[in-house]
Amino acid sequence: MNKEEFLTQMQDVLQTEEELSFDTVLDDLVEWDSLSVMATMAFLETSFNVKTNMNDYKSMKTIGDIARKAGL
Amino acid sequence: MTLSTFKHAKISGIKTVIPQGYIDIDNELEYFDNNPKKLERAKKMVGYGRRYIADDLTTVTDMAVDAAEKLIQEMKINKEEIDALIFVNQKPDYKEPNDACLAHGRLDLKKDCAILDINMGCSGYVNSLWTAFSMIESGAIKNCLLLAGDLNGRTIDPSDRKKAPVFGDAVSASFIEYCAEENPSYFVIGTDGKGWNKILYPIGGTKIPFTHENIDLRIEDENGYYWDAKQSILKGEDVFNFTMDVAPKLMNDTMQFAQWNIEDVDLFSIHQANYQIVSSIMRKAALPADKVPSDVFSKYANNSTTSVVTVLCDQQKPLGKTILCAFGVGLAWGGAALDLTNTYNGGISTYYPPKEQVSHQKQIENWIKYFKGEENE
Repeated sequence: MNKEEFLTQMQDVLQTEEELSFDTVLDDLVEWDSLSVMATMAFLETSFNVKTNMNDYKSMKTIGDIARKAGL
Repeated sequence: MTLSTFKHAKISGIKTVIPQGYIDIDNELEYFDNNPKKLERAKKMVGYGRRYIADDLTTVTDMAVDAAEKLIQEMKINKEEIDALIFVNQKPDYKEPNDACLAHGRLDLKKDCAILDINMGCSGYVNSLWTAFSMIESGAIKNCLLLAGDLNGRTIDPSDRKKAPVFGDAVSASFIEYCAEENPSYFVIGTDGKGWNKILYPIGGTKIPFTHENIDLRIEDENGYYWDAKQSILKGEDVFNFTMDVAPKLMNDTMQFAQWNIEDVDLFSIHQANYQIVSSIMRKAALPADKVPSDVFSKYANNSTTSVVTVLCDQQKPLGKTILCAFGVGLAWGGAALDLTNTYNGGISTYYPPKEQVSHQKQIENWIKYFKGEENE
């Protein structure tokens, strides 16, 4: 998955209409809620085989942080 | 990991009952800031839909007895020939005696019938089936009535938004029998008791009994979810990671143990924790979507112990080679490879409570009379 595809997929994962970039701040998204955290966990697990936990999300600030966690 | 093969036990029939009452997530807009977009988003992400909820006077045994009576009648089972009754649930009618005793009495089963309650949640049906198959295979019994279900829908406060939209009530009855002809079945059973605190009711047992001081405890977290003394704590993220570690592997281990390929399997019945979890397991185990019902959660919600049976009973086509995959509280899990080609599928029926239900207050008054020896006055 390239970075473009990752951003498109993240839009679907978070069910947001906002245009996303690696600099998008998670807390600026109205959709960044507990449902989104679970959906992101599922996305990283099933698409990248990457396991995350609540502490990971406390330290992630941007969409780029999620992408790096995914190994992109 | 416990691997077990049985050759002479089979599920002869299954039946599920659900309560009359239900809640549709579409009617709970107030919990989504009255914003239909937020509601639709949650439906799409988690799969929220309809959940059936028993009324306050209905117990798990009431519904189990109804499911059993229906199955007995539909399959023309002779009650005199029932050797054992197993009841698996975690919300029993009384602290003592166990629900299997209550069900035995109400079903009017013979006295030389063994009974057993199994206290297990989401993985309970597969573990109980394994127990019943073991008892039959050993020659201890010829058949067993297995009752499975819980009333999580009834017992969770509707304002508990982490759990209330997830759980619905259902109870099933299965009839398990010895079969002379070979009918191999394969079980993979596992436990991680170190995860005991991932889903638990901390208060209300003997560890911390309810007191006037603790009963009103109510704590809110940063997401606006709360825990009160009468409710459970569910560490959703940890349970998700546990599920991803265990469930896809369990599915593959079970198939491998049975020497079945994905092509051999007609149906994968996965515990309907929620749509997101079922679809994640499906993706991770690389299962074909047409063999993995993932809409049962939206139709009936998470039926805990009996959720894998709800999937079976909801099928509109005959059952065949089936993989059951169940996991949850404990933490515990179980997988089974079963040939259900000749299993009677009684589907899903509605439980109607008796017209004259006795209120809790009236029941207490009756117990006071009973205690004083005045019940016949």
